[in-house]
Amino acid sequence: MTESVFSETAAEPRTQSVPLAHLSLELGHLYMEDFEAGPERLRAHFAEVRPWAEAARAAATARAGGKRPRISTCFLIDDYFTRFSTPAEVVPMLLAEAERAGLGVDYLARESGCAVTGKVPVAEAVAARIVESPPPGSYGLRPPAAQTGWLANGERSPVARAPQAMKRAVPWQPPHETAARRHSIFLDVELWSDDADGVRTWSCPFLAAVWQLARLGLLRNEGEALLAPQPHTAAGFPDKWDELPSLLRLNDRAAPFSAYRTCSVLPTRFLPVEHAVRVILDQIEADPAALEQVTDRSGREGMTVPPSVADRISYVYYAGH
Amino acid sequence: MAPRQSTPPAVLACGEIRTCLLPARQALDIRSAAQLLGLRPGERVLLSERPGLYARSPDTLTGVDCPLPSANGARVRAVGTVTAHAALTEGRVLQTSAHCRLPGTGPDQRRPWGEYLVRPGVVEPLGKLPHEAVAQGVLGGPRHGDLDVGLIADGLLTRVLRHPLLDQRPPFRSRPTRLRWAALPAAPGEGPSLERFTLAEDELRTVRLRVPEGTSDAGIAALCDDLALHDWLLTTVVRMLDGLRLGAGAAQDADAVVRTLRPAVDHLLHLWMPGARVGRRLAALWDPLEERPGFTRQWQALVQRIRDQLTLHAIPAAHREVEPAP
Amino acid sequence: MLVFAASDKGGTGRSVTSANLAYQRALTGDHVAYVDFDFGSPTAAAVFDVPGAMRGTEERGLHSYLEGETAEPVRIDVWRQTEHPLLRARPNQSGRLVLLPGDAGGGEFATGEEALERCVDLLLKLNTEFDVTFVDLSAGRSYAVDMVLAATAHPRMSNVPFRWLVFHRWTRQHVIAASGLVHGDHGIIGGGVLSGHDEDTLRAAVRFVRAAVPDPESAVWSQGSTAQATWMQARDEALRRLAAEHRIGDSVVLGIVPLEPILQWHEQLITEEDVLSTQIANKETLDALEEIARRLTDDTHWGRL
Repeated sequence: MTESVFSETAAEPRTQSVPLAHLSLELGHLYMEDFEAGPERLRAHFAEVRPWAEAARAAATARAGGKRPRISTCFLIDDYFTRFSTPAEVVPMLLAEAERAGLGVDYLARESGCAVTGKVPVAEAVAARIVESPPPGSYGLRPPAAQTGWLANGERSPVARAPQAMKRAVPWQPPHETAARRHSIFLDVELWSDDADGVRTWSCPFLAAVWQLARLGLLRNEGEALLAPQPHTAAGFPDKWDELPSLLRLNDRAAPFSAYRTCSVLPTRFLPVEHAVRVILDQIEADPAALEQVTDRSGREGMTVPPSVADRISYVYYAGH
Repeated sequence: MAPRQSTPPAVLACGEIRTCLLPARQALDIRSAAQLLGLRPGERVLLSERPGLYARSPDTLTGVDCPLPSANGARVRAVGTVTAHAALTEGRVLQTSAHCRLPGTGPDQRRPWGEYLVRPGVVEPLGKLPHEAVAQGVLGGPRHGDLDVGLIADGLLTRVLRHPLLDQRPPFRSRPTRLRWAALPAAPGEGPSLERFTLAEDELRTVRLRVPEGTSDAGIAALCDDLALHDWLLTTVVRMLDGLRLGAGAAQDADAVVRTLRPAVDHLLHLWMPGARVGRRLAALWDPLEERPGFTRQWQALVQRIRDQLTLHAIPAAHREVEPAP
Repeated sequence: MLVFAASDKGGTGRSVTSANLAYQRALTGDHVAYVDFDFGSPTAAAVFDVPGAMRGTEERGLHSYLEGETAEPVRIDVWRQTEHPLLRARPNQSGRLVLLPGDAGGGEFATGEEALERCVDLLLKLNTEFDVTFVDLSAGRSYAVDMVLAATAHPRMSNVPFRWLVFHRWTRQHVIAASGLVHGDHGIIGGGVLSGHDEDTLRAAVRFVRAAVPDPESAVWSQGSTAQATWMQARDEALRRLAAEHRIGDSVVLGIVPLEPILQWHEQLITEEDVLSTQIANKETLDALEEIARRLTDDTHWGRL
């Protein structure tokens, strides 16, 4: 644009920045089956999490050069795939069990907030930012038929297609992981499915990727930050999930929700989901201005972040489910 | 956008622009333009009303991993993303523009994909980039399988043209044009310069530039979008006048002249504003083109000719003493 | 305007005649495209005498375009690239004449959803650039016919005018077959309705061209016996009755192309030079071609009958 005294707001993009901690530590996910298994399941979970949470804090302290790192903790409840019980019943029990294990939950999130928050179709906006990793030989021609709704970490087996008359059909070929070291670990992730009425259901790994972007402070809609935490002012918790804010701050003195890096402590059953999350995150172009803000601020604090977004997330898996 | 700190300085930027008439009976207003160009939910369409209606889509990225075109036959593989956007001027002229910048050296092998995505619009060579030869290769046209940013501009154009908002009733026949550009580093201390503007084939133009280090490729792309827009206007109006059989007498009645030239008045003549959306330093590159061949001079002559023709043919034939001649 | 050239069988001279119509329209100043959708035997390059320009189009012709392997199919500027000495001097005030060839060596193939979208993209693009776009289709009920029927019924194409020319020879077999191609159970009309066309509108956009018709009045036959002349008159009458019974009678005929050796044997464009100087072609043939070319856009020859 012209450097001049004249300016038009609609012609100049701006991107809101968000406060950032050093580490966002996730203490777990809660699904219906966990809840149905009773408080003992949660108790056992937090007991497993505790030593690893301490280890994550120690690692963050080491990365901060011995200074006290800013760490916030969070917990995600699934209210998207299945609706169960009520916040008034679930949340106090959850917090009590965390406290019993000596863990404080700073932020509580609802999974459906990763699909739509308020009126913003968060998941759809993230899906529009997918830039597929090009297999070698990609020179600019649009791939003939991208599998809509799926994302792979390489090239799929060619689909058998009726060849032109008097030409030979191509024999079967294996799929290939683009970043393979000699042998492939090919993964093809379903991002969403549409029912007969065209209603879209986002897949668990895709929403988990959105969740990671939120925790990394990289989620924006038209430049505005999404999933801003709401303070918890009421005495208790509502009877309907929709009345609970998508992201609730339970601890007034907590470090910011978003952070330079994330760590999640989860049972090993989440391993395939989180592999899929990496495949997705590795192919999402985060908002460039938001990325720049994170890079600048982490650099100034001497806490340089890895260039690739997928490398900013980490996991600890404990045995069990 | 300013170049990212982690990006090594680019030694080559290149791109290609497709320019065509929007296939719709009515020019789009600014709200419809925003709808047409909303390529990414969650990202704004840039809208501007001065000095004319102009809308630009958010950038989209396309991943590439392929050899670079080069004049000397070197097949340097490069990996990264090409940036593309679509723009609509006065709701009437549609452009798609794809471009990328290339650093002088890169790693020996491909990085994890996420590392390319944090540097949008950078295509990184594996090893060393023979940038002069590649610039020449880009302008000369890539061989099949070499990086072809034109295909990315074309793919985006196809996508925009499929939008249901378009009624596919263009007000007159016209041809799209392609403009390919390559920008190489200027000598130390030198300002930006336009080395060559070539009308290559019927529809192809090539532009070769020199720019000082640190010039943003988005800025260069904006200059080239502007050159492409005005070159398309000239080309289109020249062809409109070519289609007239001036002096053909009664066979070519006044109706035909008015029918052929009126769309120019309705849709094109008010679009001429060279340099309006180009940064000040790069806008100066218009100067040599204005001097020779004189883009604006030619435009004004065409505009005058169209007005004269319309004036002459507005007079009923019976009162006309002589047939207008070309 | 889009003009689809179809024929019931091979050997009707469909390609060479429609190429001549394209040439005639370009001579009058129209910008004309000729699209070779005769996937089984892409031969338009020979008619326009541009074999040299076909070198290297193995992978960038219409086959590759529709299969998604190239984004922009090759275009051949006929005036500039033809090897025909008379065509190379592009006549003053003529419009562009551009050939979009199939892949050299391409074959008939099944088309899918993606190919259909690409076909629509291409036809829309050509419609913004050219006054008339001729689309030469494989003979009979073919994938090409199905594809353009679906394309012209596509919502994006609803504002693009199109017309069909069905070529057939003047024999009993060809008359019956041409009628079947259009009016039969799975014919152009029936198939078009299945694709979403309005039956009456589609029918109003179909006209027939009788090709290689011997004219009993012609000087060529005047040497024959009286018995032969009488027999020819009678056969011609019988064929006309047959055509009318099969709903392809005179009222839906756009034109008649006389039997012409230069079209039958050499499959080339007929220039004024061929008629006037070298006299290898008949004036009647050229007149017929000029007239059909003119009638293509003359609305009095179209519409419901």
